[in-house]
Amino acid sequence: MTQLEIHEAQVLDARRLSCPMPVVETAKAIKALEPGEVLKIMATDRGSIADVPAWANSTGNTLLNWHEEGDTLVFYVRKKEA
Amino acid sequence: MAAEEKLVVMVTHGPEDPEIATIPFAMAGAAVASDVEVVMGFQGDGCLLVKNGVAETVAAPEFAPLAQLLPTIQELGGKVLVCSPCAKKRGLTQDDLIDGAEIVAAARFVAEVTSATNALVY
Repeated sequence: MTQLEIHEAQVLDARRLSCPMPVVETAKAIKALEPGEVLKIMATDRGSIADVPAWANSTGNTLLNWHEEGDTLVFYVRKKEA
Repeated sequence: MAAEEKLVVMVTHGPEDPEIATIPFAMAGAAVASDVEVVMGFQGDGCLLVKNGVAETVAAPEFAPLAQLLPTIQELGGKVLVCSPCAKKRGLTQDDLIDGAEIVAAARFVAEVTSATNALVY
């Protein structure tokens, strides 16, 4: 796996949460960040593979990258500019 | 986007069918997370889901439990409207319902649906 040059401001552990809580908790967590800061999200609900990009697209935030680490899905989302 | 979008989710199934009772909450949860205004309407046996203590008993496999979804939806601004005759038929008064639930009649539901960008009925 390529080492990413992404520096997250906060990490959200959404592992073991079921649909739709990973995106709900993502939405809550990103509210606490400053525009341009990055949230790292860890999830195990496979639906998140479709949900996080769809959520980012509909809210104007940017999904920078995602990958799998074992059973965990890891997403990096940059908060939209105000 | 989405601040001006509004979704109405009508719930007509009660705790006897946990999956179909849970799906509207999952949709509403995803909607409030996406900055969509959400109004949940409870009719028929759906009213039973917002009776005090009932959400804590409803969970469907692979979905977040109602005990997690319902307070989250309300916390993120989702409204809970309950059909007045449906509640009355089931002996439910305001005191029996969760905090924030509002007992309304048909015209209010019509107003919510006609002012929404979309509505889902379960």
